[in-house]
Amino acid sequence: MSDLLLSLSTSPLARRLVTSAKLPIPMPEKLARPSGPAVERFLEGTTALVAGDGALGSVLAHVLPRAGAKTLVASDALARVFAGPCEAFGRPLHMLAESDAQRTDKAHALVFDATRVTSPAELKRLYTFFHAYLPRLARCGRVLVLGRPAESANTLAQAAAYNALEGFSRSLAKEIGGKGATANLIIVAEGAEPRAAAVLRFFLSSASAFVSAQPLRVSAQAQWNGADAWERPLAGKVALVTGAARGIGAATAHSLAAEGAQVVCLDRPEDDEPLSQVARDIGGSVLLADVSASDSAASIAAQLKKTHGGVDIVVHNAGVTRDRTLARMQESGWDQALGINLEAVVRITEALLDGTLRDQGRIVSLSSIAGIAGNMGQTNYAASKSGVIGLTRHLARQLATRGITVNAVAPGFIETRMTAAVPMVVREAGRRLSALGQGGLPEDVARAITFLSLPGSAGVTGQILRVCGGALIGA
Amino acid sequence: MADKTAKKGGRRAVVVGGLRTPFAKAFTDLMELDTIALGVAAAEGLLRKLELPRDQIDAIVWGGVVLPPLSVNIGREIGLDLKLPASVEGMTVTRACASGLQAITSAASAIERGDADVILAGGSDSTSNATIAFPNKLTHTLAPIALSGKATAADILGALAQLMPLSEILPRQPRIAERTTGEVMGESAERMAQRNEISRQAQDELALRSHQRAAKAIATGRFDDEVTKVQTPKGFVHTDQLVRADTSAEKLAKLKPVFSKTGTVTAGNASPLTDGGAAVLLMSEEKARALGYKPLCALRSWSYVGVDPADQLLIGPAIAVPKALDRAGGLTLADMDIVDMHEAFAAQVLSVLKMLGSQAFAQERLGRNTAVGNIDPEKLNVYGGSIAIGHPFAATGVRMVTTMANELARTYKQFALLGICAAGGLGAAAVLERV
Repeated sequence: MSDLLLSLSTSPLARRLVTSAKLPIPMPEKLARPSGPAVERFLEGTTALVAGDGALGSVLAHVLPRAGAKTLVASDALARVFAGPCEAFGRPLHMLAESDAQRTDKAHALVFDATRVTSPAELKRLYTFFHAYLPRLARCGRVLVLGRPAESANTLAQAAAYNALEGFSRSLAKEIGGKGATANLIIVAEGAEPRAAAVLRFFLSSASAFVSAQPLRVSAQAQWNGADAWERPLAGKVALVTGAARGIGAATAHSLAAEGAQVVCLDRPEDDEPLSQVARDIGGSVLLADVSASDSAASIAAQLKKTHGGVDIVVHNAGVTRDRTLARMQESGWDQALGINLEAVVRITEALLDGTLRDQGRIVSLSSIAGIAGNMGQTNYAASKSGVIGLTRHLARQLATRGITVNAVAPGFIETRMTAAVPMVVREAGRRLSALGQGGLPEDVARAITFLSLPGSAGVTGQILRVCGGALIGA
Repeated sequence: MADKTAKKGGRRAVVVGGLRTPFAKAFTDLMELDTIALGVAAAEGLLRKLELPRDQIDAIVWGGVVLPPLSVNIGREIGLDLKLPASVEGMTVTRACASGLQAITSAASAIERGDADVILAGGSDSTSNATIAFPNKLTHTLAPIALSGKATAADILGALAQLMPLSEILPRQPRIAERTTGEVMGESAERMAQRNEISRQAQDELALRSHQRAAKAIATGRFDDEVTKVQTPKGFVHTDQLVRADTSAEKLAKLKPVFSKTGTVTAGNASPLTDGGAAVLLMSEEKARALGYKPLCALRSWSYVGVDPADQLLIGPAIAVPKALDRAGGLTLADMDIVDMHEAFAAQVLSVLKMLGSQAFAQERLGRNTAVGNIDPEKLNVYGGSIAIGHPFAATGVRMVTTMANELARTYKQFALLGICAAGGLGAAAVLERV
């Protein structure tokens, strides 16, 4: 299961041999990942370059200096909004000069706020900025482009320009993936600007290591009480994670607990032992249930109500694959995949909505790249995973007034027990056919789920966040 | 505006008097006196000056930072060496450079709570007598042999063999370094200078003013009432030894930065390692009047705060000051007639002043709409500060309270503000008021 090329690439000698001999072997960059829970100054010692005079300048100004970044801004308008926070947090503000392009010290983040572009011609500023400063982007650095929904544009030209940002950032992601860097587009609706803060923090931090080439929408759709703690954001929250005994579920339980949540770990009775170990490790509790049993939903809801008075975060992670081409697929394979991956999600969600899930709650379900792109031998699995997307979009609208957000994550190739069983050739293709040229880890998905579970992520609802390292398929 | 004179609750603690030893550079004039002896010298002078019957004292609260390992409770030792009645109990408090203020506010709390009527509070430190510690590896390896009493030569040789390499068992020079970050405090000050854009020139100017004002205070006799001569085996020390009346902007500008080649913090704009002790006497107001003392001032409010030592180690007073002002019943910085800010480093004082004056800091860090306020340099450290006078860690807060108490008593000023930064990312502030 270990990735030979990735371990080779961390050896300076092997790296030099491969590159100097011009061998056609990809050398993926080992991704920088967080060493613990969220900390306030997660950008301490890093440099951020900010350009574009958009609507998000003041949000950026309230994130970067507080996070500890040395910030260089490209315009007087940005300098005006950055001046106060830079002074308050003792991070002197610098103007980005043309000569800065020649400097060799690295920048962790290049951010362009394009929320006020009005025409395709103005996109030239993106070219100018990134053309000049991309060489300074650090390994495992971050490119962020901020835009508006194309449908909110005032003119034809603006709609064209807004949507152009997506092709731009997706392509850039592919160009910088070799050095472990990511590029993403954050599409912020008018009036949702304050909600972009938590999203920016996620995408600027190493918690988003395996999220690249993605557009993510931030809206003011769901009610929000303004809560957005930078440290221990989940303190006081109760989270249910299904399929928590191993893999992504176990990693999610760990991640949520690290941010302060009280986690109820759910899995099948036969997985009691590994499940109990997870619960012990994180100081959580165990809930044994077979989610595919028709009566389990009601008893899960009743249990949560009884022991915790309700639940704030629900992570629908339990899932199975029963891969066969449709012609060869047995009925049981279809039934199990759909029953566990989709019907159980519907049933449990309905049961929890009956007075157990609290206001300002968060629902995160596991979809999959297969659910977006389809996959040979996975008609059942892909159906279930794209069913999850439909459920997510429907519920997001329905629950917005209660402040509950509903999202899904769609993992790409993740190094788990499930993918270790895949034939070698397919596995290698899964790893390499992505911007980052490697598979993700369960913790990468867990951190994306945790991000969607934060009180500050109220701007993100009805979204499918891909954690795929910029996979080339399913775009 | 809130009532500025009302004191909540019934009892009020007042400062009746204060006195300190001269302050001297470490390993010089006061080297022969340890922390306890320095405390005794200050307290003895104060009791003599106030002519207080010794059986009136209920307790001693003493601050110390570099504490003698085998007699950590120096508060008790000082009481015993003063030959106070054995019933006068004693304790020691430690809160890095805010230890002296901590001793005073602990005493005030006890008095206002009704636990005591008269408390001798103070602080002293002898950096000259800091114990040089052996690394635990040496102690742990040798302890079994030392404790068994039957070790053979082979045991000892075996133990010694475990102690290689030698560098791991050599005694370590004590450093003022943060335990969690390993950063020496001067490096923290250097980073604060950079982050808050404090120039070398501004730091040197503050240092120069500190020396000039302290020198003037000494020359005009302003400290005569609050500094007592101290006897050492080599003779008497009468006045502060560190203040340089003859320093100048040119001399300060010539000094090399200590913590970074391109830095701005020098020996001239930082407080030096110092030996000294200071004491104040606190009483309940009724008791003071019953004994015939005129109180110098009361403690209107105080606050202690913590910040992340890995961020800006010494910025604490910028948060502690507004908190103490709020607790004083809605007083503002403008209400303060005089301000005494501990000068660990000029860079730290100037960083704190800048943040107090910053609207952005108030909004982003304090959750208030307007800046705490600017401090008129004419009101700030009017008799110099720790850079010129010196900084025997736990004595500093007591020195500041003494000077400010005397100032309130002898002028018509109403309020004095104190601000102190301390290791560990601590900040302290207090508001004194005229009685």
